[in-house]
Amino acid sequence: MNDVIQINQLVKKYQNFQLGPLTVSMPKGMIIGLIGENGAGKTTFMKSMLGIIHPDSGEIQMKEEHVGVVLDQSFFPELLTANDIHSIMKDIYKTWDQTLFFNYLKRFKLPKNKIIKEMSKGMRKKLEIITALSHHPSLLVLDEPTSGLDPVVRNEVLDLFLEFIQDEQHTILFSTHITSDLEHISDYIIFLDQGQIVLQEERDVLQNDYGILKCGLKEFEQVDPKDYLYYKKGKYQCEMLVKEKHKIQKKYKNMVMDPITLEELMILTIKGVKSC
Amino acid sequence: MLGLIKKDLLIMRNNLKYFLLMILVFAFFAKESNIIYFIPIFISIMIFITTFSYDDYNKWNTYAITLPLSREKIVLAKYITSFLLMIGTVLITFLLSFAIGTITHSFHFDEVFPMLFGGLFALVLLQSFMYPLIYQFGTEKGRIGLFVGVFAVSGLVGYLVNHVKINTTAFTHFIQFFNQYGILLLSIVMVILFVGSYFVSKRIYLKKEF
Repeated sequence: MNDVIQINQLVKKYQNFQLGPLTVSMPKGMIIGLIGENGAGKTTFMKSMLGIIHPDSGEIQMKEEHVGVVLDQSFFPELLTANDIHSIMKDIYKTWDQTLFFNYLKRFKLPKNKIIKEMSKGMRKKLEIITALSHHPSLLVLDEPTSGLDPVVRNEVLDLFLEFIQDEQHTILFSTHITSDLEHISDYIIFLDQGQIVLQEERDVLQNDYGILKCGLKEFEQVDPKDYLYYKKGKYQCEMLVKEKHKIQKKYKNMVMDPITLEELMILTIKGVKSC
Repeated sequence: MLGLIKKDLLIMRNNLKYFLLMILVFAFFAKESNIIYFIPIFISIMIFITTFSYDDYNKWNTYAITLPLSREKIVLAKYITSFLLMIGTVLITFLLSFAIGTITHSFHFDEVFPMLFGGLFALVLLQSFMYPLIYQFGTEKGRIGLFVGVFAVSGLVGYLVNHVKINTTAFTHFIQFFNQYGILLLSIVMVILFVGSYFVSKRIYLKKEF
């Protein structure tokens, strides 16, 4: 496969937290969703990739040199205006596209001369995203780009990402804990929990092969632990995360098999019990 | 790198407007007391330090590292901006005091030059120690560290002057030597300090995580 980013045995240690060792490869031309709880290591992972922090060991290979970045917190000096951002960036990026930038400003009704301090959170985020897009990157790295945005702005932003990904050479790495954002647009999912990768899979595979098997508590005793990955017991029923759901459905014909959402996947994996 | 220099100038733009106005006012009073030449230079650097504060506050450094610029360039841009601001301030202060001095027939180059030069030297000294401190400990702690340092050094100098007997002939020789070569000597010291400071800051910044 044609990979944009290859990460080998990446480790970053903190006093109370360790990321990795992680080995990941990210395919080109996809929207790659990085999901996980707050504190799972998503930001640490992205910062290591971008060279903002120095990993303790491991290898990171990025084939795309042209990266557009949106970080989780606002990062433009708040005394600047959109006009200022343009005049700074045109000297930083050789590929800076002035027309595109000002078209975006118009399209999103962002003021040219208002200082960032006086902009709403949604406006700031949009400005950051269009800045990242206006130098024609081939890889977008976005850390929680939609958190804290209202549904309207969120939709606008997601549309922008979908436009960007129309070009087959473009790739997006998108971290979020709001899994519903990724539900419809992602092609590939990397799931981090406590600094470790729990799962990396194509979205289609997740949709077609994974499922939730539901049954009563008594019936649960009859299920072979080899058939599920995680389980969670409720008051009356039990839910199991299964792979190869069609095969398993045939084996347990009297039980219900539901398709899985990313949210359920996250909850079952984090809150559930791992099968032996 | 030009982009980064622009960024700092744009952040300072409001302060700089007031600052220019202030220099104008100061220049008018300059004939009253020479100490007034120091003040604009010091204020210019106080204004420049706010760009570090904004960098910290808006987490700019985290983003700057992701730009197609090396970490060295990010530090170098700061030093260049700071240098430009210093030279600009000295020049404007000089030109203004020259203009006003000429009109009021009170301009004496021999008096103004040592004052401005002395101010510049003090400033380069200050910055050369301050920037590495800021890069290492952050703007707030760096600033506090600097004030503590300045007080400690002035205290020490005061103590030495009062308690150490000075060999007067040697001191006179020193003064004579200084009068002759002082400007050159101090200029060399300034360059060494400022360039050295850049290399120290660069080392710190290369290792730093944001």
